[in-house]
Amino acid sequence: MSFVVKEEPAARPPEPKPKKIVDGGLLFLAAFTLASGLGVAWRFGAGRAWEIVLETGAFIAVLSPKIAAGLFIAGTLPMVLPRDRVAAWIGGESGWRGLVLGSVAGAAIPGGPMITFSLAAGFAAAGADLGAVIAFVSGWSLLSLNRLLIWELSFLPHDLVALRVLASLPFPLLIGWGVRVLVRRQTA
Amino acid sequence: MNILIGTLLIGGVAVWLYLGLPNSEWRRAAWLSTWEMVRFTAPRMVVALLGAGFFAELLPREHVEVLFGADARVTGALLAAGMGPLTPGGAFVSFAIGAAALKAGAAPVAVLSYVSSWSLFSLTKILAYESPLLGKRAVLLRVAVSWPVPLAIAALGGLLSA
Repeated sequence: MSFVVKEEPAARPPEPKPKKIVDGGLLFLAAFTLASGLGVAWRFGAGRAWEIVLETGAFIAVLSPKIAAGLFIAGTLPMVLPRDRVAAWIGGESGWRGLVLGSVAGAAIPGGPMITFSLAAGFAAAGADLGAVIAFVSGWSLLSLNRLLIWELSFLPHDLVALRVLASLPFPLLIGWGVRVLVRRQTA
Repeated sequence: MNILIGTLLIGGVAVWLYLGLPNSEWRRAAWLSTWEMVRFTAPRMVVALLGAGFFAELLPREHVEVLFGADARVTGALLAAGMGPLTPGGAFVSFAIGAAALKAGAAPVAVLSYVSSWSLFSLTKILAYESPLLGKRAVLLRVAVSWPVPLAIAALGGLLSA
């Protein structure tokens, strides 16, 4: 494989949308961390709290190449994803195929809830079926590969992760199907 | 080892994606978009991992074992499922808590139930993203269909590992 980058004409790339960095979620998390940190210092002494800070720093350092690559994927993939085509694949008449595609797309999509739910809203607006959209959201929730590789395997033993994935496999499909049945009953 | 395999796989995908970008304008846009992701994620990650580390230290081991241990069975899985939506922050928090609980004596089945329940029903995700972007009806339909799923996953996991 050669590492020569391409130089081809193409339409302009989409503009990145700046995100609000300090929001309620971050403040809540900071309050939670501060309270638990003070709790540790109070019960086990400031020395133990500092040890945990150092352990966490070392852990982040070990994870950082993986996190950097994951963030590059999460930042770039939505730029190159053909949204309209995906929406057509998982449209109202897409049957089980649409549910399978939605679940698989959900598992494959990198990035956090902001990206996933905006994509899901985009698919719905472009005419995708609600069951398939929810299969997509559930596939991402239960089987997200990116999250599995970056976070889950870094914390949990691999046999438990394998067990979780295996046991979760049918559910995005079943959830999507269940939502279709409910929607049909509501509109009938 | 897990971390190394994950790093290689994720790194491979990133390189593949980079080489697929059509020209330097796209590559610049990709870096900009990545930088936005870094600015957003880095503070959350550091704060969340620290919080998870402190929280794990404070977990009362004897209670964890009684409430979520192998003897707690169904009640343990139910209680664990109930804690999923209440967990603040991102994936790192729930996995770190799951790992700490496992070390403190929780049964694997209870951890499966907790992690699945967080994945599907984290209130932060639902309130901050899902409800505003997809609408309340979609959220209600999804929850109406999927509420038993964490317990089903725990039960299936228990059967598969038996």
